Amino acid sequence: MEEIGRKRIAAVGVILAALAYFLICAVPLKKELLVVPVWSKSLSEVLPPAASADDAAPAVGIKPAGPQGKAAPAAQRPGASGGQGSASSGDATSALPFRLGDVFGYFTEEGKILFADRAAYGVALAPDAFATYDSQSEGFVLRSPTGKELSKVTAVGYPFFAAGRRFVIGPDQATISELGDSGASAWAYQFPSIVTTFDASPSLAVFGLMDGRLLGFDPSGKVVLDFAPGGSRVAGVYGVAVSPDGLLVAAITGADRQRLVVLERRATAYRVTYHRYLPSDYRRPVAIAFTDDGKFLAYESPAGIGIYDRAGREESVIAVPAEPKLGQTARGGLLMVFLSSSAGSKRLVCTAAPDRRVADLRLNARRAFVLARGDSIFLGLDDRIVRMDLVER
Amino acid sequence: MPARPARPGRSSRPLAVTLAVLACAAASGYAMDWPLSPPRFAATFGTFAKGRVIVGAALSADGGLVRSSEDGEIAFAAEDGSHPAGLPMPLGSFAVVEHQRGMAAVYSHLAPGTLSTRVKKLKSGDAIGRPGRSGWIEGSGVLFQVFDRRAGTWVNPLLLLPPLADDKPPVIRSLALSRDGKTYVLGEASSLPMGTYRVSADVVDSTGSPWAIGPLAPYSIRLSIDGVETVKYVFDVAKGSGGKLNFFAVSPIAADDLRTSAGRYLLVERLFSRGRVTMEIRAEDAAGNRRSSSYTFLVE
Repeated sequence: MEEIGRKRIAAVGVILAALAYFLICAVPLKKELLVVPVWSKSLSEVLPPAASADDAAPAVGIKPAGPQGKAAPAAQRPGASGGQGSASSGDATSALPFRLGDVFGYFTEEGKILFADRAAYGVALAPDAFATYDSQSEGFVLRSPTGKELSKVTAVGYPFFAAGRRFVIGPDQATISELGDSGASAWAYQFPSIVTTFDASPSLAVFGLMDGRLLGFDPSGKVVLDFAPGGSRVAGVYGVAVSPDGLLVAAITGADRQRLVVLERRATAYRVTYHRYLPSDYRRPVAIAFTDDGKFLAYESPAGIGIYDRAGREESVIAVPAEPKLGQTARGGLLMVFLSSSAGSKRLVCTAAPDRRVADLRLNARRAFVLARGDSIFLGLDDRIVRMDLVER
Repeated sequence: MPARPARPGRSSRPLAVTLAVLACAAASGYAMDWPLSPPRFAATFGTFAKGRVIVGAALSADGGLVRSSEDGEIAFAAEDGSHPAGLPMPLGSFAVVEHQRGMAAVYSHLAPGTLSTRVKKLKSGDAIGRPGRSGWIEGSGVLFQVFDRRAGTWVNPLLLLPPLADDKPPVIRSLALSRDGKTYVLGEASSLPMGTYRVSADVVDSTGSPWAIGPLAPYSIRLSIDGVETVKYVFDVAKGSGGKLNFFAVSPIAADDLRTSAGRYLLVERLFSRGRVTMEIRAEDAAGNRRSSSYTFLVE
């Protein structure tokens, strides 16, 4: 009997000790980051009827200034509209631009499609205005996000907008002009060779050239950066990125061997502060961009997405197959959002800065775009736009 | 606009490069082969049209293949509409091929989806793509440009390519003097008042292409006034410098100063005093076909 009593006491003791452990040493579970769908809008309901978009249409760029560039080749049809698309009344001041193949337009965070249309040939998009153009454009109409005509611009070449600035690239792909507020050319520059890539911030626009030079301009058109990284057997600039504050310029330059070069503005001149030979040997335009908070540089590499930490001058890699489209930040810079594409499919990758993957979604879409704003991710998938909110629970 | 007397004999680095290239071409037969066969010009080096100037040779073709002009390697290739930075590409689908002697050739406006990017190394004659009309181009074909990396100049490809069986000389449409908004076309006007005039010429080279970017530029234009060669334009090289494009190895002239708003070649600005003046203009194409016209008029 005494032995049974001791066993009971021991059992009760163990239970009490366990209870005490759970009460005293318990650590609350970490909150999970959930992606919560908020709304989904079909573009086919608001688009004017037209031929279907081309299969090979590229995924849209996802720089903060919004998608831009030439629309899908299938849209090169006579009579296709420009600025005649479907518009609804709404708050154009919070308009978010999008492009999916030849379809482009604006929507609000609340899910209202402000404007949607198909581009006849190309479209330049910015949060505050857009312009469609044809293959031999000698001018274009600048329109508001609701499609209202703002001004007519006479300029030979293709318009492109970035960081609140409006540029035109000439037919020779070696002439750039920046348009002033009136739509007239504020400055123009004839480059010594072909422009292969560009990026811009409000204070600095940098163009990479076929001959391996980087030329940077302030808003008045003054050359503030003229640099040829060199160090490779084949000269060329394959990608360039400007930080939102204009203080950093990064470029993928040269081939055999290819280099990542980072320049930083010191006093009045840009100096190389970081460079590294890369394992890549791209002979095409390469995706490279600073995240919209400017803390990280993301660039395309054979191993995935290369990340350069501006503060620590350190690099890491997020292993994502296929070609990544770079990089938006969400949640105040805590998350980075990438879109990668391979034939016929897309992937949305979210990482906790800089390189811990927290989400990896396979998307069944031929064309896609992603925009991140605060705690929201806006995803375009073929003919649909979806809002998803990031929620901690 | 200031007068631009010819400055024969003044050499520059581009000239040295051009001469070196020519010497090389002469030593080895011709350095490059035509990227399209048969070549039909839609624009020659120096052709102006719609605010742009061609620093290469546009060749028209509806089919066939665009081939590498000599051994080389693809340095850069871009498909129309695929730029990750959203940069629109007026050259459409194009490839930059690194050739010999520091020469890089640009083959642009290729048909989308035909650009060869699988191999980097190319042998002379290897296919690069198909002629197309991607980007800013008036018809189907290829724009072929040669860039001398060492000198940083665009080189007239005709200096490096085998000569064509061309027996049609350039056409001198008119030679004119203008001042204060008045234009005196020589041949129609036999006398004009004394003063400072801009002398301009309308000269075009012949084309066998069904379409053209603009009136084709001849290879050279020379103007003699009273027996003295005053202007010698030779479309050999063009170089971007200080945000401007300048033509000619000898006595470079900004492209913007080379043409009037009406598209005529602006040759010289000169004071004409009383008396009889004789002007002779000579134009030559790359095949060596020449045409000249002579005008005599009275300055009163």
